[in-house]
Amino acid sequence: MLTPAELVWLIAAVAKGDQAAFERLYAATRAKLFGVVLRILRRQDLAEEVIQEAYVKIWNSAGLFNPGQSSPITWMASIARNRAIDVVRKRSETSIEEEPAAMEVAADTPDPLARREMTEDLKRLLECVGQLEPDRQKLVLLAYYNGWSREQLAEKFAAPVNTVKTWLRRSMMDIRECLGL
Amino acid sequence: MMAYSEDHIALAAEYVLGTLDAGERAQVDTMMSVDKNFTAMVLAWEQKLGALNQMVGSVEPRAEVWEKIRAAIGQSEQQAPIVLPQPELEPFAPVAEAAPVVADTSNVIRLAANARRWRTIATVTSAIAAALVVMIGVGVSRPDLLPGGVRPASKTQVAEVKPAPAPRPSAQYVAVLQKDGGGPAFILTVDEATRNFTVRKVGASAEPGSSFELWLISDKLPKPRSLGVIGNGDFTSRPLLTGYDADIVKSATYAVTVEQSGGSPDGNPHSTPIFAGKLIETVPPAR
Repeated sequence: MLTPAELVWLIAAVAKGDQAAFERLYAATRAKLFGVVLRILRRQDLAEEVIQEAYVKIWNSAGLFNPGQSSPITWMASIARNRAIDVVRKRSETSIEEEPAAMEVAADTPDPLARREMTEDLKRLLECVGQLEPDRQKLVLLAYYNGWSREQLAEKFAAPVNTVKTWLRRSMMDIRECLGL
Repeated sequence: MMAYSEDHIALAAEYVLGTLDAGERAQVDTMMSVDKNFTAMVLAWEQKLGALNQMVGSVEPRAEVWEKIRAAIGQSEQQAPIVLPQPELEPFAPVAEAAPVVADTSNVIRLAANARRWRTIATVTSAIAAALVVMIGVGVSRPDLLPGGVRPASKTQVAEVKPAPAPRPSAQYVAVLQKDGGGPAFILTVDEATRNFTVRKVGASAEPGSSFELWLISDKLPKPRSLGVIGNGDFTSRPLLTGYDADIVKSATYAVTVEQSGGSPDGNPHSTPIFAGKLIETVPPAR
């Protein structure tokens, strides 16, 4: 795995149209980004489409990356994740879960949760998430990791959508306060 | 950033969390394209919540994916597509500053120095990590393996708790007209029901002696159609889109050219489009 500084260098080269740098950037980040979008989309074909679009966008907007504002991997993962969320929100009327291909995703190998591998940012965030009530913790994490809509969360927590809306908002404001954002 | 209302802050946070619906997401995209500070707030949330991605397992995509990406960027160089909506951001800061290297080093030092503090929060974190293992490991594709407490509700329950979809006002479409990769210059809003459109000027002003003219470009029409000169005020509203099919209106590219004062005399554009964009669907808040 490349260091953040190396990724920043590669994105800078990509911004100048360096295709070799782009290929290295892809090689270093594709599995992480694919893991993130596959978890949300749960279908290999959709995840592949989203990853393609995301990397084309990364190629086109590398010049806009600001290392003072975002870490390179978060910037790239956000592009991919935003695209994945857009896709699931637009497909919301068809239930992705029931597609048979969704099951194949189980081959996924979760990264070890070794504490020494967590960054300080992650520890701090988890500390704040941990201050929420247990149900709200699940709510926030299911929303982030699985890309669930308010309607899906309402189903899971057997609560009206408007209640979920309120929970989500309050949870995010609590996290904000805890992080000092 | 302090000037934003709690509504805006929550909107940015929920955009990043991913729980907004398609219409709200389109609104946030539009807000980001016209408001640098709002964009900064969204990026700050992405940075904070993005730490959670560390816990997500890596999955190798198939080799064909790269082939398709490579083919697509080859094409994009030749065609120079309009990328939109694009957040208005600072250009790439010089790499020589190497800010992330510094940040990274301090991170390592802090990590060592804070070992004691870390031990005190370890209990809390472990509990969360355990919840994460459940959700990441099996929560996605094997709901049957989850303990009852985190298993999704059954479909029967679902039907009972799902409220009827709220009636929505007519759809609104928004296009951000901008230079390739540059900031937005005009925001075009189209009301689906009335086909009225409004152009809001957010950037450029026409040079004296010239006018900005708006065009509708569609592969279903033989040539660009003028939608008229954009006035000097902040807003220009017209009902002109009533003459076009809904499909053409939704799929067309909207472009702005520089014409002589008062607009093109012969109905044809006389410059290449300097700002262009396509409509995205958005829905006004029902509140």
